[in-house]
Amino acid sequence: MKRVAMALALAGAPLAASAAEGARVEVRGEIIDTWCYYSGVMGGPEAVVGSAHHTCALWCSAGGIPVGLLAEDGTVYMVLKLGGQGTTGNPTQMRLASHEVTADGILYERDGLKYLIVEEVVTDHGITNPNHEDFGPVPGFAIPEPQE
Amino acid sequence: MKVFMMGAALCLAMPAVAQDFSAGSEANSWGLAGEVPARFDATVVDILCELSGDCPEVCGGGARQLGLVRSADDVLVFPNKNGQPLFTGAVQELLPYCGQEVEVDGLMIVDEALGAQNIYQLQTIRAKGESEWVKANRWTQVWAEENPEAAGEGEWFRRDPQVNALIEKEGYLGLGLEVDEAFIADWF
Repeated sequence: MKRVAMALALAGAPLAASAAEGARVEVRGEIIDTWCYYSGVMGGPEAVVGSAHHTCALWCSAGGIPVGLLAEDGTVYMVLKLGGQGTTGNPTQMRLASHEVTADGILYERDGLKYLIVEEVVTDHGITNPNHEDFGPVPGFAIPEPQE
Repeated sequence: MKVFMMGAALCLAMPAVAQDFSAGSEANSWGLAGEVPARFDATVVDILCELSGDCPEVCGGGARQLGLVRSADDVLVFPNKNGQPLFTGAVQELLPYCGQEVEVDGLMIVDEALGAQNIYQLQTIRAKGESEWVKANRWTQVWAEENPEAAGEGEWFRRDPQVNALIEKEGYLGLGLEVDEAFIADWF
């Protein structure tokens, strides 16, 4: 009966909000702009990644919108730290916008989101998704029309 | 005993039911597929601190992503966006309220297929007990103060020195200037 009571208590109790141990992980994926990806404001998920969305990813990264690491299985890891810095106006994350990277770091999970503290970019694979060939620039005004 | 066991199993197996925070919201629609108006009380936190215990002063002073721990259910909400349609995040809007209890209004973004959960677009905020709402639109003002050399006409993202330096080096597509040149010649 004690065990049942403990199970009920655990099931009903909110998870502690205090800091917890993270798990070390190595993840491979693209550094993306999370707002455009999640909100669909610029189009479907295939259009807001890769070279098509590179300039917008730079704007959003400079604008302090959180970056994520979109893994090969579709999981998004919200990046909280990269190159030893937080992720607003961070020059390392700007340089890696739209790049596919293999990252080593510490994973935390809370309330349905995965959070990643990147301790090391093991490999920078560069931009591996040349999807501008399919979508053009996203948004269309990302590349200014050349003046005559 | 069986009833207790069944109750415990059900509690453990049940997914968390999303609460409705749309009551009283005056958030403007952005026409997004997964948007849900959401107005709620919360505490402004440094997400890294909240998760890992790494807690610098003043929530990192603007260098870190900030979150909202919702008072009603202790859920950590991640504001990805402020109220300006200008590629701008929410950190500068939340920073003045670091560690404080606030009320916020905006849009929750929900998309199960993409894993969007507790992602928020902040439109207005006020400290608990205050009557006046503050629009979440101070990002561009902060940027202008921090980048006086980039003063001029046009949107901030066309004048940002860090963005422009990277585009000059790697092109708009990020694949190098030769790829850019060929694409632009073909596209326009």
